[in-house]
Amino acid sequence: MSAVTGTAPLLRTSLKHEGRLIAPWVVLATALSASSVLVYPWVFPTVHDRQGLAATIGANPALGLIFGPANDLTTADGFNAWRCLALGGFLAALGAVFTVVRATRGAEDSGQAELLASGVLGRGARLLTGVAMGLVGSLALGVVSALVTVACGGGWQASFLLAATFTATGWMFTAVAAVAAQLGSDARTATSMAVGTLGVLFVLRGFADSIDAPAWTVWANPLGWTTKTQPATVDNWWPLALTVVFTALVLVAAFALGARRDFGQGAIPPKPGPARGTTRSVWALALRLNRGPVITWTGAFVLLGVVFGYFATSVTDLFSSDSAIQDVLAAGAATPEALVSAFLVTVLSLVGIIAAVPGVQTMLKVRTEETEDRVEPLIATATTRPRYYAANVALAFAGPTVYVLVAGTVVAALASRADLGVTFGDVLVQAAATVPAVWTVVAVAVAVVGARPKVALAAWLGVLASFVLTLLGPTFGLADWVLAISPFWHVPNTAAANPGLTGLAGITLVTAVFLAIGFAGFRRRDLAR
Amino acid sequence: MSVAVVDVEALVKSFGKARALDGLDLRVEQGQVHGFLGPNGAGKSTTIRVLLGLLKPDSGRVRLLGGDPWRDVVDLHRRLAYVPGDVSLWPGMTGGEAIDLLGSLRGGLDEQRRAELVERFELDPTKRGRQYSKGNRQKVAIVAALASQVELLVLDEPTSGLDPLMENVFQEVVGEAKQRGTTVLLSSHILAEVETLADRVSIIRDGKTVRTGTLADLRGSTRTAIHAVTERTPGTEVLAALGEVRLDGEHLTATVACDRVGAAMTALVGCGITSLTVEPPSLESLFLSLYGDEEDTLR
Repeated sequence: MSAVTGTAPLLRTSLKHEGRLIAPWVVLATALSASSVLVYPWVFPTVHDRQGLAATIGANPALGLIFGPANDLTTADGFNAWRCLALGGFLAALGAVFTVVRATRGAEDSGQAELLASGVLGRGARLLTGVAMGLVGSLALGVVSALVTVACGGGWQASFLLAATFTATGWMFTAVAAVAAQLGSDARTATSMAVGTLGVLFVLRGFADSIDAPAWTVWANPLGWTTKTQPATVDNWWPLALTVVFTALVLVAAFALGARRDFGQGAIPPKPGPARGTTRSVWALALRLNRGPVITWTGAFVLLGVVFGYFATSVTDLFSSDSAIQDVLAAGAATPEALVSAFLVTVLSLVGIIAAVPGVQTMLKVRTEETEDRVEPLIATATTRPRYYAANVALAFAGPTVYVLVAGTVVAALASRADLGVTFGDVLVQAAATVPAVWTVVAVAVAVVGARPKVALAAWLGVLASFVLTLLGPTFGLADWVLAISPFWHVPNTAAANPGLTGLAGITLVTAVFLAIGFAGFRRRDLAR
Repeated sequence: MSVAVVDVEALVKSFGKARALDGLDLRVEQGQVHGFLGPNGAGKSTTIRVLLGLLKPDSGRVRLLGGDPWRDVVDLHRRLAYVPGDVSLWPGMTGGEAIDLLGSLRGGLDEQRRAELVERFELDPTKRGRQYSKGNRQKVAIVAALASQVELLVLDEPTSGLDPLMENVFQEVVGEAKQRGTTVLLSSHILAEVETLADRVSIIRDGKTVRTGTLADLRGSTRTAIHAVTERTPGTEVLAALGEVRLDGEHLTATVACDRVGAAMTALVGCGITSLTVEPPSLESLFLSLYGDEEDTLR
């Protein structure tokens, strides 16, 4: 009998039941890497285009913050290395953290681990299983992404080194998550600690790369080691050895911590909360339950505003080189000024589509609350169903409105300083004009959750249709009546001489119809069924 | 007859093809504790959800506190409090916050009673929802319901997960609520709990009410068991006073209706009793027979 007795059968069952939850991360990272080698030759066919891209990126520190240093953008592999190294590693690390925490602390929280711990199972078997899942999952992510990228035309050496950095990052954060699962006393705390560590290291690495910080700041950061491999240019494999050593050391610490703690307990005890409540209405409750996402999304839209804002400042450079990007972004506008404003309309529509996502999530949260039996006791009080629903619908509308205006303000501030011929007010008004389209998309979710909650996935239809039609539609040359299905097609260009408001009135009417369906449905149907 | 707080007649509710309630009747009088008994899946929670206006009845008459539970939601819900059988709390919210939220939505709590109940149930209100055990989640809902000033308490298997000590506290507290004049609808599948608290009970099975009345009524409907050893074998005129007779020489086993015990004794005395055991009717056996097989054991 040893501390790891029983790991093999436990790992088999865990992989069988939770293995498929790793698949989305593998797909995301693979799609990211494979799509760059596929798209690159098509969007940037000539050396001239590619040098233009390199100049644009070099002049834009915001991009370095997220993507890291661009070493060589004249080849598809170099472009792939720049576009995917940081983001792919980030995805692999996130996937590893969720996998490890779910298999260790999450199972302890649910009580499922207790049942198994009473069987023939060593003390370290549960943690070893979680760690093994993280390591195997990250390895699978690397191998699949490398093979698919090569199949799509990537170079062997560059693609495999790039994919190896994904795996290495996944491994390091498997270890970090293993430690976090010993420190935090529930899955949520453990996940926050590990993801927080990842976020801080990611931002620090971004700053080190974009502001010419001293070399040691990159070497002091485990995420910096992977950038030092420089796939497609230098092809340095040895920094990966550092990541393996880091993984091993942190894992030793995790197992030492795990051997010392009691089952179900953590090093950081949960803090007692308030004995009295200040949340005393359904409006306050809706806000309270969505507090975490609201704060996170607000931060995300500030970042999004920064990225798009900087992107806007370099838009004239991008347009000066004749390429397919013109069709995608500007959808057939003519003069440079018109190009810029069309570009801003597109960018703000994109912001709007993304902002609809948290709106739909807020509505789906209503359904989760309902199936978890937490709506029932509320409706059993003097709260009417329309009132309860209205509180959530209001938040689902207000949240995205704030996000669009926040991102719009940041884009406006950056674009108005960049001598593009647009003022702060122009951009902000355009952002405001985008909001009604966001509402229509969210209203689809209001109708679905209210009237037909069994097909909750249909709540995403609005987002999906808007995304496909607004961003891909013009490049496919679809007819206007098809494009008009997307509410964002009706957003007027407020910089135009005579912006038509009938489109907005039309989609607002549609919004009202969806809302009416949602409220009528929620009032009439059986709850929690 | 006093005023009916709950008045349900021929209630039918189906989910798809499954008929959850099939002509259910239920009448709860003002100021009484009414036990609502039935095996798992009999339709207790479905009935309660209809009474709370969460489910819409397919047919039948439902009146609650003189109103329509589907239409007059707010007015009615101000006057009642509800404890579900399986309490689900908001994971990030403490028990104390959940009590205050539910209380505020109902229109306010009795602060003094809230503090007293938290104390008596030994509830730690500073823990988060995800940290509570089942019994403690149940306590949160019980405190929230009983700390409010209401006319009707709807309790759906409220003590599942409570330890015996806390179950005692719960019975005391419900007893006090009754003293204040609160009407209580107490659903349960545990007989002992209902036996100590309830004035009247309704027993349901497969979505139908199979028995309703006071506990004495229900006792009356069961039969007393008699075991006797007699000197002479009882004759047919003696056996006529008894039911379900099993005769093995001088050993007699039989049952008799409660109001016929005296007559049966008189008849048996004539045979010269050497040993006699009379077992009063047990509710337990009534419930087992009602829960289990068909109703023929009662007749």
